[in-house]
Amino acid sequence: MPAVRLPRVLGSAARAGLTHEVEGTTLAAALDRLFAGEPALRPHLLDESGEIRPHVLIFVDGRRSALGDSVGPDSEIRVLQAASGG
Amino acid sequence: MTRIAVGTEKGGYLLEGSKDDWEVAGPLFPGWKVSAFANVDGTYLAAVGSNWFGVGIHRSANLEDWEPIDHPPAWPEGSDREMELIWRFHHDGNRLWAAVAHAGLFTSDDAGITWDPVDGLNEHRTRPDWQPGFGGLAAHRILTSDAGIWVAISAVGVFRSDDGGSSWQLKNDGVGSVAAVGEERPEVGYCVHGLANDPADPRRIWRQDHLGMFRTGDGGDSWERINNGLPADFGFVIWRDGGSGRLFTIPLESSENRVPVGGSLRAYRSDDDGEHWMVAGTGWPGDPQFTGVLRAAFDGDHRGKVAFGTTGGEVWLTDDNGESWNRLGPRFPRIGAVTLL
Repeated sequence: MPAVRLPRVLGSAARAGLTHEVEGTTLAAALDRLFAGEPALRPHLLDESGEIRPHVLIFVDGRRSALGDSVGPDSEIRVLQAASGG
Repeated sequence: MTRIAVGTEKGGYLLEGSKDDWEVAGPLFPGWKVSAFANVDGTYLAAVGSNWFGVGIHRSANLEDWEPIDHPPAWPEGSDREMELIWRFHHDGNRLWAAVAHAGLFTSDDAGITWDPVDGLNEHRTRPDWQPGFGGLAAHRILTSDAGIWVAISAVGVFRSDDGGSSWQLKNDGVGSVAAVGEERPEVGYCVHGLANDPADPRRIWRQDHLGMFRTGDGGDSWERINNGLPADFGFVIWRDGGSGRLFTIPLESSENRVPVGGSLRAYRSDDDGEHWMVAGTGWPGDPQFTGVLRAAFDGDHRGKVAFGTTGGEVWLTDDNGESWNRLGPRFPRIGAVTLL
């Protein structure tokens, strides 16, 4: 099952820790399953248009991915910590 | 015992103690800007924000164990507005309000678990003309009473509702506009920074505006300037201690240079409803302090206890209604919110 790994900063918004196994064959489907269990994460990852928030990077198996991209059964979905700022 | 919640650019902190004995807890929510706190009948709320991850609200019964709420205030999906920051909570004993940027109002009747937009304001007919101030397009202050509801939006102006929030009117006559020079007096473009009112007569309101200090006795139908004794027009803070009626503000040099005049960090007070202002009490630093005080970083208990935080990360407190002031605790990150819990 794909695994979503969250940056530590999102730990306060996730009730069940930083790693979540979720079903789904696309990034969008996997995130929907994540949000079903962790609804507070949704506004932190998606914007009002339903797209990935600007400047939030999500990598699937090491490749920056969009919501429609495929996710494999053993994929690692990694949400990156923001790297810019003071 | 005093408990002060401090919201900074890098987490939240709690200062708890009295006299010279203070304990510090935190950071709460490390990595997040903490923009607002509230105590809703023993349930504590903290609002967090991030340039990347948006906003969130957390609730706690003990200030130690925090739980995120599932659905913080949000614009409708597909909206071109962003939920940038929750600037202020306001609990009127019945309903909880949140003032947010992009500018809007939301209410909660279950202590912050679920939120509803105040469409009468959020979809106001003038909204296409709303423009942000330096701090963004933000609703940041709410006053509620049986005599009306007032909301401050930068850089739009003060709105009043006389029907419980269904409809809203702009109330800025007598205050200058920061909108384009040379135009006829515009309907919006008034950069209100802070509001405070008299609970016994809620239509008496004081207003720290971008362009000076003002007051109204008629709920905002007309405003008059009251800067007598203040060293500068500019500032963000207006606070009225409900018990004594004493007003407090912290003047800053100018819009261009938002630091205390000459580096003299001082609260100013007025005991005559703003007719005259003077330095409030003693205890102020002798050396220059080039640090500002922002609009949500000032709070009191209406019984003579008043605290504020600076952009330089210092917290100041008086427990004798501004006669003497003390700096508390460590130096924090830039402070944007101070709340007595």
